[in-house]
Formats: sequence, C-alpha cells, structure tokens
Amino acid sequence: MVSTNNEKEVLLSVKHLEVTFYNKKRRFRAVKNANFDIYKGETFALVGESGSGKTTIGRSIIRLNHTSDGDILYKGKKINGKLSKEDEKEVVRNIQMIFQDPAASLNERATIDYCVSEGLYNFHLYESEEDRLQKVDQALESVGLLPEHKSRYPHEFSGGQRQRIGIARAMVMEPELIIADEPISALDVSIRAQVLNLMNKFKEERGLTYLFIAHDLSVVRYFSDRIAVIHKGRIVELAPTEELFAFPLHPYTLSLLQAVPMPDPRIEKSKELVIYDESKRDLSGEKPILQEIRPGHFVFANDREMKEYREKLQEMIEFKKEHPNA
Amino acid sequence: MTQDSRFTFVKVDESASEHIAAPQYSYWKSVFRRFFSSKVAIFMLVLIIVIILMAIIHPMISGYDNLNMENINDPTSRFLRPSLEHLFGTDSVGRDQFNAVWSGTRTSLFASFAATAVTTIIGVIVGMFWGFSKRLDVIMIEIYNVIANIPYTLVCMLIMYTFGAGLVQLIFAMSCTTWISTAYFIRVQVMIIRDRDYNLASRCLGTPMSKMITHNILPYLISVIMTSISRDVPSFISSEVFLSYLGVGLGQSYASLGRLVQDAVKYIQSAPYLLIFPLVVAASISVSLYIVGQTLADASDPRTHMI
Amino acid sequence: MAENKDIILSVKDLEVKFKVRDRVLTAIRNISMDFEKGQVVAIVGESGSGKSVFTKTFTGMLDSNGKVTNGEIWFEGQNLCEIKKESDWEKIRGRKIATVFQDPMTSLNPVRTIGYQISEVIIKHQGKSKEEAKKEAISLMERVGIYNAAQRYDEYPFMYSGGMRQRIVIAIALACRPEILICDEPTTALDVTIQAQIIHLIKDLAKEYGFTTIYITHDLGVVANVADRVAVMYAGQIIEYGLVEEIFYDPKHPYTWGLLSSLPQLGEKGNELFAIRGTPPSLFEKVIGDAFAPRSDYAMQIDFEEEPPFFEVSPTHFAKTWLLDPRAPKVEAPATIRNLHDKMVRLTAKGGIYGEH
Repeated sequence: MVSTNNEKEVLLSVKHLEVTFYNKKRRFRAVKNANFDIYKGETFALVGESGSGKTTIGRSIIRLNHTSDGDILYKGKKINGKLSKEDEKEVVRNIQMIFQDPAASLNERATIDYCVSEGLYNFHLYESEEDRLQKVDQALESVGLLPEHKSRYPHEFSGGQRQRIGIARAMVMEPELIIADEPISALDVSIRAQVLNLMNKFKEERGLTYLFIAHDLSVVRYFSDRIAVIHKGRIVELAPTEELFAFPLHPYTLSLLQAVPMPDPRIEKSKELVIYDESKRDLSGEKPILQEIRPGHFVFANDREMKEYREKLQEMIEFKKEHPNA
Repeated sequence: MTQDSRFTFVKVDESASEHIAAPQYSYWKSVFRRFFSSKVAIFMLVLIIVIILMAIIHPMISGYDNLNMENINDPTSRFLRPSLEHLFGTDSVGRDQFNAVWSGTRTSLFASFAATAVTTIIGVIVGMFWGFSKRLDVIMIEIYNVIANIPYTLVCMLIMYTFGAGLVQLIFAMSCTTWISTAYFIRVQVMIIRDRDYNLASRCLGTPMSKMITHNILPYLISVIMTSISRDVPSFISSEVFLSYLGVGLGQSYASLGRLVQDAVKYIQSAPYLLIFPLVVAASISVSLYIVGQTLADASDPRTHMI
Repeated sequence: MAENKDIILSVKDLEVKFKVRDRVLTAIRNISMDFEKGQVVAIVGESGSGKSVFTKTFTGMLDSNGKVTNGEIWFEGQNLCEIKKESDWEKIRGRKIATVFQDPMTSLNPVRTIGYQISEVIIKHQGKSKEEAKKEAISLMERVGIYNAAQRYDEYPFMYSGGMRQRIVIAIALACRPEILICDEPTTALDVTIQAQIIHLIKDLAKEYGFTTIYITHDLGVVANVADRVAVMYAGQIIEYGLVEEIFYDPKHPYTWGLLSSLPQLGEKGNELFAIRGTPPSLFEKVIGDAFAPRSDYAMQIDFEEEPPFFEVSPTHFAKTWLLDPRAPKVEAPATIRNLHDKMVRLTAKGGIYGEH
C-alpha cells in the first residue's frame, strides 16, 4: 500500500495551506504551508501536540476557520474561501465532524431526538415525520443506543454514550469524509475501544474516509493508514503508518513516539526521557522543505539534514535485516 | 464437592447496560422543583401575588378616581389617621389612602412591567445580533459608550419635559435607554457561549443562524434573562417613584406610588402614615420581585438541577 | 491487606454518599486499603469509579453534598473521618497530605506572583523569614525544572505554560514537606511530551523527599511508568490490588482483563479491538453481587447474587472476583493480554523506538 498512490482517488487535497490568526496587532501563523492528500477510503491521521495547528487544519476543511492562503480541494473543487450557498451546503453534507469533548459538543437543552435530527431538519433529508423518526432510531441503533433514548437529554448519558450520539448525529448526514478531532481522548479507556470499533465499522460499511486528529501515536497506529506528524503548524513527517513506526526520522517524531507511555511496567521503568528542543538543534543550511525520502515517506528537511536522514535510514534498514524478529 | 450451579457462566443481555435508570428529566419540572424548595421564595411569591391581585381587583371595587376631591372642603374627612373605616387614613383632600395606594400600585406595577417588557424584548433581540456579529459590535460598542455615559435621570426628565406627562411617555422615558444595558449584558453572554463546541457542531450540520439563536443560544440564556428581569422591575418601580417625586412623572389623573410619596412628603411631620404605606408597598414589591426573580434565575440554571 | 510493613495511611470500610437531585449516590462502597510508606500507589479507574472521591476523603475536600457515611481513615494515629472543624483539616491538608490537581489553575491564585504563592506557603508552614522563604522558593522552582527561577519569581501564573504551572503547583505542594502527595490526574490536561517530563519529575522528587505518592489516573501507560502498586477501581470499589507487574502480567479480575485487552496498542489493523461493552452501573441503585458482571464475558450466576470477597493471589496481590473461588470453573486470561510484555517489546522494537539503531 505504500507507493501506489497514483491509482487511488484523491478525495481531499490540501495545498500550501496557511492559516493566520490576528489578535489585536499580533499575528500568529497557526498553519504553515501544509500540503497533503487524503485518498478515498483511507484513514489519514494528523498527529501533534496542543497548539500544533492540527485542529486548525481540521476546522479549516470544514470551514469553521478562515484560511489565509492556499487551497483546500474536495474532489478537485475548491472549498475554502468564499463559496456560493449551494456549494457551502454541499460541503456540509459531505464533510462531517466528530468532536473531542462529548460533554461540550451536544446541546444540553435539546433532546437526543433533536440532536440527532438537527442535520436532517436543516437539509430536509426525510420524507415524513415517521421517516425522520425511523432514521433517528436507525442511527441510534447503529451506534448501540436504544430508541427510547430519544426523549432523554445529553447530560443523562455517560461520556462514551454521548460520543456515540455525536457519531450518530454525523452519520445520519451520510457524509463521505469525517473529520474526527481527538474523538477518544476525552473518553475512558474502557470506552475508547468501543468508539474506535464503531468508527471502523462505519468505515467498512459505508466506505468512509477519515481525517483522524490525535495526539496519541499509539491509537493512531491501530487506526490509521497514513500519518502526518505536525509540529508548530508545520508538517514535519508524513508516511504510511508502518513505515513511520519502523523508520521514524524527524527528531520530533522520535520524541513524540518516546513520550507516549507504553502500558508495560518493564519497558516504562527502563525508559529514558528524551526531550525535543528545537533551539538545541543544528538548524544551519538552507531552509528545509518537506521532501520524499522513500516512496510515500516525506520528511521536513534541507539537503544537509536529508543526507543525515538517509544515512540513518540505511542503518535502520540494515538493523532490521539482521534482526528480523527484534 | 459437588458442582455448584451458581458457579456456571451465564449469558448477559448486551443492551441491558445501556438503559438509563434515572427518571425522565424535564427542564421545567426541575426548575419548579428547585424554585419551590426555597421557603423564602415561596413566601415572596405569595406576597407579590397578593399585591398584584389587590392592585388589579381593589381599584375595580373601590372605583377610586384620583381627580375626585369631593371631600376637599370637609375638614372632618381630611388627614384622618388610619382607622377601621380608612385603613391607611385620608390625605390632604380627604381621599381614602387605602384606595389610593392600591390604585397607585396598579399604575406603578403596570408602568414598571411595561418598561421591563420593552427593555427585555429589545435588549435580548439586539443583544443576540450584537453578540453574533463582529461588524455590528464595532458600532454598538460606540453607541453603548455614549448612552451609558448620559445620566439616566437626565434622559428621563428630558423626555418627560419634551413629550409631557403621561403613562405612555413615562414608560417610553424609562425604557428608552435601559435596553442597551440589557443588550450589552446579553451580548457578553452570547459571546461566551457562541464558540462553544455544540454551536460549532451545529454550524457543521448547516444550522442557520436564526435556528442557532432559538435552539442553541436562547435556552441557555433563560437564567440570565431572568436575572436581568428581576433586577429591572424593582429598579423601574423606584425610578417611577423618584421621577414622580421630582414632579416629572405622571399627570394629575393618575395615582401612583411615586405621586403618593411626592404628596406625602409635605406632611411628613404631621401625617407620617401618608408616606409610610406607599413606601412599604413599594419596598415589598421590589424585595419580593427581586427575590422571586433571583430564585427563579437560579432554578432555571440546569447546573442547580444536579444537586 | 498487607499487615506488617510501615503503613502510613490505613482506610477501613470507607463508604461515601452524595446527595444528587434528592437521590442518594453511593460513590465509595466499603473500601479497605493500606498505603505503605514511600510507595507509589496508582489508583486506576474510569470516571465515576470514585477514584478522585476516594482520595478527597483523605483531605476533607468532598463536595458539599457528599459525606463519609461509614468507615475510618487512620493517619498518624488520628481517624480523619472524625475531623469536623475546618481548622483541624488545615493541619492535615497541604501540610501533611498535599494534592496536585489536573488543572493547575484551580490551585494557583491568578492575581498573585508565582514567587509570592510559593514563599507564602513556606512562611506559613515552615515559619521562615521572608528572605529565607524567597531563597527556598527559588531553589524549589529550580528543583522542579523552572529555568532562570530568580527572574521568573515575580511573574504571574498566566505568563506560564500549562506544564510550567503544574511544576509550580508541585513546588507549592513540596514547600510544606508533605508525608503524602496525591496526584489527581496531574498530566491529563498536558501534552504527551510535557506529561513525560512531569511524571519523571514527580518520581524523582518522591525519591529525594521520601514522600508517599498516590497517583490517580485512567492511563495504563502512566501507571506502568510510575507505580509500585496498583489499585484498580470499579463502581466505587477496589476490585484488584497488587504490585504493578502482577497487575499487568498476571491480572485476575475480568475488568482488569478488559482494560488491558482494549488497549489500542494491542489492536491489530483490520481486526476489531476488544471493547468492554456497555457502560458502568448507576451508583444511585444498590449494586447486587459483582458490579462488573453485566458487562463481563465471564459472569456467573453467583455474580448476580452475592458480592465476591477478596481472594489472595499472592501475599501482595488480591482480586475481588468469584472466578478465584475454588468452585468456579478454571479460566485463563484472554489471549490478547497473555505475554503482554513480549508483545509490547515486539511493538516497540519493531519501530526501533527504544532499541539501538
């Protein structure tokens, strides 16, 4: 699955995306020259820490944030900037979002019936009142909830149940692309697997495409096909999942991998702390850009760094040959 | 040891754990339950209901007419101290004060309720758009700064002098600038909740702004609006009293708490009861409405429903 | 549990109830547990399992609608459940038992300088002079990893990042030289790289100052990193307790199995992750039998009838499940979590993350 990209259909394409926020007179570049494609049917993960700009990218795609430069193309059609009412509606119908905090993302004063029906009402996606209720029931059942929950209010549900309501609300719209902004990080561990399975189920049943925004690489590894690591608004490494885990090159990717605690006392207790400090890196040479080092594997580097990474990569490949089971 | 049948695996109903055991939640039921759990609030509610009923019913029975001064030349019916016949005594022209107070209460209550309604309706509507629109905000903030810096009493007096005395003029004068503070108050609240996740979610679902206001924002502001109302009504009562005291309030044909106070001040030494009764009624209205309103505002905040 | 050893805090039959909307919620259902001096005990559980409530009873910080309705908490010869006056609590809270919360801003005063807030505590608790306090505050700030502490002494909390603020909260907690440090999800709001640093710091300080750490978290990765002992909580009870290796490599309770099995790290692409079905029980109702039974794949008839006792697995390892009863059918832990260590090693080595390369 690594390099046969050209055969796949590009669903969403982000080109030279810049997002700048203005606060009084201060300018803050939240996203710097982001470039990536998302193929139909894949799960593309955007991984970074808070303030890295990963959520901003997600929100720009769904038109919650203004972009200051660059293009976002959905099936080849530009969807950022000014759009006609029809085009805007088209975007809303096709791209949906799952939010991080299930406690905050549901309208507390509305019943579950209304929460799930909201999109149906807006686009009048039902023939009759019965049809609508049936759709709501179906949506609830598809996420493992019961029709009797319709008359309840969000605060009566647990976090996992609420997140499933949030998923049901997005799913009734029958979207093609889902932006899942840290959909499980606010959930309890025992509930996370439920939600991930649910998302996978929908992916298989409906051929959905996901943009999965996360900070936890261990979750991403299970869930996604390709990963982009983003640091301070800049994509520093982009590769297919197994490639990234096998040959992480950028020092930030490495520190991120290291930082995630593994659920294994022996490994954790013998682990040493690596801190990524940009100011301590050798940043000499020309300006770095995102370049392909192996098919499908991109890293943010200049020529000098590229040379280092190539050497490192070679070492790793040889190490793997010698220790195939290590 | 024989096999214990209790130690065999059993199948569990998968959806059983999804059931919600708690009784159905209802917002308004919870509001009332919460409200009626406060004894003080119940007492104040009863008090204000009695006052309102008296103000509506009593003048109909008594047929009190503020311009009727038939006893003006009868010294035996002027300045009578409170007695069984005249519960609140009589004034300088021999009018029964009990009748006068209730008729006055009716006028004052009407004026303050009307002014509150105007203030709240305009304030909430303007505040909604103000909170949502960044462009409007720039202009509104300037308008607000100007209006907020003109003394309220001065505006009222100016309007009353311009348009003359009268009930409608009074209501207009009292509410013509206050709506902007309500609007400002609502604006701040809207700005706080405008960018919350659930509103972003609604935007992602294509919900139009009008629906956002009625379904996402307004329900969250009930408690805030209650608070604003419970502050406005008493403050309009005292505004009316104060304006009438200055002599710019209502015309001669109306009895109002403010006019009663204004008339009574002259006789504060000789007939203090003339002043006491209208003041007690005015204070009772203010306090009870304030407490009822505040309790209701608390009760309509769903956070209090949990406890 | 463990009888001998140096017990610093001992909880017996603790029960805590909350009044919510005229109904009674039993948040803690009869917990007995001893904390050994100098150990790092991690309490793992989902939200609503009562892990925060449990430790809040040690410092008298239950919300106003909650009450300890039964049980004893023994600390330095005193039963903490008998404390009524706020002034008596103040002798314990902060001074002997300090807490670091998830959101550092709840513990910091936004309008006071960082330095003032640390030295205030030093003056109050150690009775030092202003100059001495400042000196010690700066050295504490340095100790918790604030660079140019002397310069940053006069800054305000909002000028600090989340991770830095949490370091300050830890410094304030340390200023009182506590016997016990309760860390209530101290890194949940922080980024992973910052989290790693804070955890590291807490471990180092525990060694240096010799306090006992009670670490509350829902993250099994963090548990693996910090804990000597682990208590797993479910529905207001501790359902398994043991050394960290026992809990990870030889768990006995079906809930612990479920927690470990559902780790995304163990998931294989294309296959479903193991998921514990359903949701935790409502604690408004009386729980009969094993609270986890309705969600368990190993539920037996007796789980719905009688509450299981603690069975001893080893002198340090206890689990509250009928599966350990001699009458129960023999079951092994699910295949997913057998040889957990080997699997994790393979995972990490494959990426070359921790290996030499």
